[in-house]
Amino acid sequence: MANQRYRLGVDVGGTHTDLVLLDVASGELMVEKVSSTPKNPALGVLNGVMRFVARGVAPDEIAFFAHGTTITTNALLEMRGARVGLLITAGFRAIQEIQAQARDGNLFDYFYSKPEPIAPQSLTREIPERSDHAGAVLTPLDHEAVRVAARELRDAGVQSIAVCYLFSFMNPAHEEETRRIIHEEAPGVSVSLSSEVLPRLREWPRMSTTLLNAYLEPVLVRYIDHLNKGLDDAGVVTQQRFLMQSNGGVMPFAAAISGGKTVHTLFSGPAAGAQASAWLAQTDAKSGLVTLDMGGTSADIAFIEGGAPLEVTEGVIARRQIDVPALDMTTISAGGGSIASVDGAGFLVVGPQSAGADPGPACYGRGGERPTVTDADVVCGYLNPEYFLGGAQRLDVAASHAAIKKHIADPLKMDVLRAADGVRRIVDMRMADEVRVFAAKRGVDLSAFTLLPFGGAGAVHAAAVAEELNMRRILVPPRPGAFSALGLLCTDVVHDYIRSELMPLDAITPDHAEAIYRQLEARAHEEIAAEGLDPDAARFSRELDMRYTGQGYELRTPLDGIFEGALDANAMAAARARFDERHAQIHGHAAKERPVEVVSYRLRLRVAVPKYAQGLHETPASPRAVEDACKGRRTIYFDGATGSSANVYERDKLDVGVRVLGPAVVEQFDATTIIPPGWTGRVDQHRNLVLEKGAA
Amino acid sequence: MDAITIQILRNKIASLVDEMHYHFYRSGYSTIIRESRDFSCVILDRTGRLIVAPPMFFHAPVYRHLVGRIRELYGDEIREGDVFVSNHPYEGGLPHVSDMAFVAPIFADGEIVGFSGSIAHKADVGGTNPGSTSANATEMYHEGVLVPPIRICEAGRHLPDVERLILANSRQPLLVRGDMTAQIAVTQMGAQRVQELCARFGAQTMCDAFAAILRGAAEELRGAIARLPEGEASAEGLIDNDGVDVNKPVKLAVTITIRDGLATFDFSKSDKQARGPINLRPSMVEACVFYSLIGSLGPRLHFNDGMRDCVKLIFAPDTVTNASAPAPVSNYQQVNLKLVDVILEAMASFNPSRANAHAGSSSALLIAWAKGRPGQSNMQYEIVGSAYGGGQGHDGASCTAAHLSNLHVTPIEILESEYPCRIRQFNLVPDSGGAGQWRGGVSFQREYELLEDAMVIRRFDKAIYPPGGVAGGANGRGGRFVVNLGKPEERETRASGRYEMKAGDRFLLQSAGGGGYGDPHGRDEARLRADVAEGYVTREAARSVYGKEV
Repeated sequence: MANQRYRLGVDVGGTHTDLVLLDVASGELMVEKVSSTPKNPALGVLNGVMRFVARGVAPDEIAFFAHGTTITTNALLEMRGARVGLLITAGFRAIQEIQAQARDGNLFDYFYSKPEPIAPQSLTREIPERSDHAGAVLTPLDHEAVRVAARELRDAGVQSIAVCYLFSFMNPAHEEETRRIIHEEAPGVSVSLSSEVLPRLREWPRMSTTLLNAYLEPVLVRYIDHLNKGLDDAGVVTQQRFLMQSNGGVMPFAAAISGGKTVHTLFSGPAAGAQASAWLAQTDAKSGLVTLDMGGTSADIAFIEGGAPLEVTEGVIARRQIDVPALDMTTISAGGGSIASVDGAGFLVVGPQSAGADPGPACYGRGGERPTVTDADVVCGYLNPEYFLGGAQRLDVAASHAAIKKHIADPLKMDVLRAADGVRRIVDMRMADEVRVFAAKRGVDLSAFTLLPFGGAGAVHAAAVAEELNMRRILVPPRPGAFSALGLLCTDVVHDYIRSELMPLDAITPDHAEAIYRQLEARAHEEIAAEGLDPDAARFSRELDMRYTGQGYELRTPLDGIFEGALDANAMAAARARFDERHAQIHGHAAKERPVEVVSYRLRLRVAVPKYAQGLHETPASPRAVEDACKGRRTIYFDGATGSSANVYERDKLDVGVRVLGPAVVEQFDATTIIPPGWTGRVDQHRNLVLEKGAA
Repeated sequence: MDAITIQILRNKIASLVDEMHYHFYRSGYSTIIRESRDFSCVILDRTGRLIVAPPMFFHAPVYRHLVGRIRELYGDEIREGDVFVSNHPYEGGLPHVSDMAFVAPIFADGEIVGFSGSIAHKADVGGTNPGSTSANATEMYHEGVLVPPIRICEAGRHLPDVERLILANSRQPLLVRGDMTAQIAVTQMGAQRVQELCARFGAQTMCDAFAAILRGAAEELRGAIARLPEGEASAEGLIDNDGVDVNKPVKLAVTITIRDGLATFDFSKSDKQARGPINLRPSMVEACVFYSLIGSLGPRLHFNDGMRDCVKLIFAPDTVTNASAPAPVSNYQQVNLKLVDVILEAMASFNPSRANAHAGSSSALLIAWAKGRPGQSNMQYEIVGSAYGGGQGHDGASCTAAHLSNLHVTPIEILESEYPCRIRQFNLVPDSGGAGQWRGGVSFQREYELLEDAMVIRRFDKAIYPPGGVAGGANGRGGRFVVNLGKPEERETRASGRYEMKAGDRFLLQSAGGGGYGDPHGRDEARLRADVAEGYVTREAARSVYGKEV
């Protein structure tokens, strides 16, 4: 057996693919950045792997491969999924048409359109069958109707079939039988059952999620197939190959292609960074972290409390409902490429349009003429035109200046510096406002939290955002640009299972609840065995989705620590008490006298896989003086009027333990960190750069 | 005042309104708040002018009237820590008696700099029927207890007497109390946050920014109006009936004049006010006017009360668009939606590219079961959507909430799990969208089987006068309500009404389809083929109405 020397994390983004290779023995990280290859993203991944090989890495010494990809997300955004057929309970064709009924988007636009259906009515077949709310069969399944439908859809060129019957989450028998018949009549057609993809109450979210799974599963299976072959050919022998999911965990490739799990990858893009934050800043995460991943077109914000990212179970992507567990993140259109303009009412607005990477900001000199946030950063002195991407890209200061003058300063009759500062203030305050509202919505008290910026532009804007939020501490990781890729080496295999059954808590015996969890656990065991993982390594955690009778929203209530072995009456009572507590914490009030009902049972399976542990770096006996890292001075306009002269430091030369007084700039290949006046930077033992206000 | 500070403060107010909105629906008790989100939260300037529109747009014009009346009544006596309450359609301009408003003044340096406000539908405020809204009230007194603008908190002290008086008139006092508490809290939160902004940016800066935001919207709208051709256009439409005189339609009429950068909307030719609850207060007419104007001129315009400066409304007294007390107003929403159809029809002659046929309206269903499922409420209330009309270059959207109404559907699996009923079908209605070069949206039908005895109240319009086609397009198919389904006594009703039903009874509700736009013979053949394939249009209709074999 080859030496298990390396672990590889790969994050495929829209323009770049980032790779992080961990040498397990030394704890050293190697980083590569290659262009993404949207037509066949596996190629970009393999190019990156070959770069390491060229640097002398033996591919058979890579023992672990974890991978974050937006392949399904992009396929959905560009509508490149499979041709999908849909089987529904006879008599209910309006469900897929009416959806939520309420409109999204601009409510004044009466020329409103819904997104194109994943499965149109013409590829939908009604199947006589019906169960009631308790799962009792009212109308038996019409096998012949399924057979005819499967043949018709096969003949119509359908590659994937979604099946969504009413109350199938209470009784999946009809859907399972339907799948058996489809396999007979249309072998090779992929089948997604709503009772497997999302066995949860409420027919439209379940149907929508199942349709998305059916639409994207063939895309993901084909991609994994390419990638598997490519890795084999490149000499990567390990079968420890994993894919990032929306819930912050990974799944083995085998799980991804076994069916029913494709929808769990749709929000995986930003999940890796949040997961890395939670893991790498474990000490900080206990008191709470806000992550700010600011890239070219948008800023992703997440909260990490008690060491774990907050989660949601309902989401919308590309205007489509998808109700699977995902990290609780909010995204606003505020990135380096966001375009600033003066609107019809004479106000200065920033975004939502973005210049993206091409043509990019005016200073890129690729034909972009509209001023962007990056241009404002350049004009105000925050970015070094000679040292963008380590000097790989020169920035044209005059072009930034001209764009801001023409499109902002002249129309508003103000000077260019003020205008540029205004663009920055607007975007910084919007990010801060978004964080503040997000925190308020989750019942989170920000005052003890640390801001963790990453992505290309995060650390340029972090201090201004923190100031606005009265946050006094910022933690800039060693490699802000490759942080998401690193996150892939920081997580476990996580599978989520759910089963809905609406019932008053009082009416549920502990045995009944235990039996439901045991069924879910049995299924989980079967699945991980099939995925080649060790069932003995499985750790389960249980949750109940509960609500006060009459409420419309459920609250996930974890059962950790309130039972041992099997649920009993005490555990059920403790679950109730915990629900009241959580309700009070999140919504500010609880109703202990009100009856509670259970809507769903959730089971989370966790199988630990090896993770990156950040090294502890001792303070050198004789640390280099901070002056040694100083490579010059630059004028920064923090207030848009008067320049402050700031020292510029090279991050790699800052030793553990040194302090940097603001105003200062810390530059590195993939990021720039701004330390304003009144703030102090310090390199901690993990080589994080910790900024604190008033700590000089 | 620089453009940057203005924009920063505008963003701050918008995010504050968002935060107030979220807190309220997550902490309110009734399903009306939690599920339907039938409420709004706002920030106003010192004269009650709204700064940023809430998601529930049609509440937006109400606040000006309400705060105007509060200032008239209390003037210099308004004190820091006061909270006012009102649900009065005539004194406060509220849409109907079920909607209750709370308003708190915002003080900085001893002066009023603005107001924080909220309006929310209450589960029951008394009146003749459970749920308070009515299909056939003839006076506002039938619609619930009336609260003129009065204090419910005085200088920071809560006044429990007022709350007890309101709750004593409700059939759902616990729900109403929970919602009132949440609503007062969120209104006070809004006031406090603006106070904090004043402390940071300066009260004068705040007031200047408000003024600039209002002025900016006015200028933007004035510019859009100035680009229209000058002239005059009229339109009118009929409401089926007022729910009381069920054989008599009620006319809505508008004449729009565009001149000198000013848009004038004259509603004087609308019918006299109705006996039944289909009357509108001017605040609702304003909501229809601004919605239609923004939708027609440019949906990206941001509403605020500054826009009133370039729009003029004219009413005749005692008409259905400007009723006098005590005319009932419960069913304002259906009338709003009809009025939007009429205004858009007239607007089309100024901006033909945004012409739009009539939409299918919204309707209400209330079921009160004699015996509910164990542990569950025995009352289901739902606002049912319909479809949009076709427009120039655009097919109407099918199966959706239209125009000013935007509420969520209740899932079938929720209905059957929580209430003793079975849904036997939930289907599209082929050919319900009006034929046209641009087709009206298709509507849907839902069939209930009751598993327990129940009282059913159905409120709807556009059964007798279906959604109109425009520019040669055909009408959408009208709404239907069929009772005693499958029995010898089966019949289709044509007006809102209240029914006592037995376990085993079935009924069917069908919403109206949108009107068509343009001559159906001009419809693109590929589109028509797709319509037939998707089941939106039948082969027979393709032949007989569109004149094509598919």
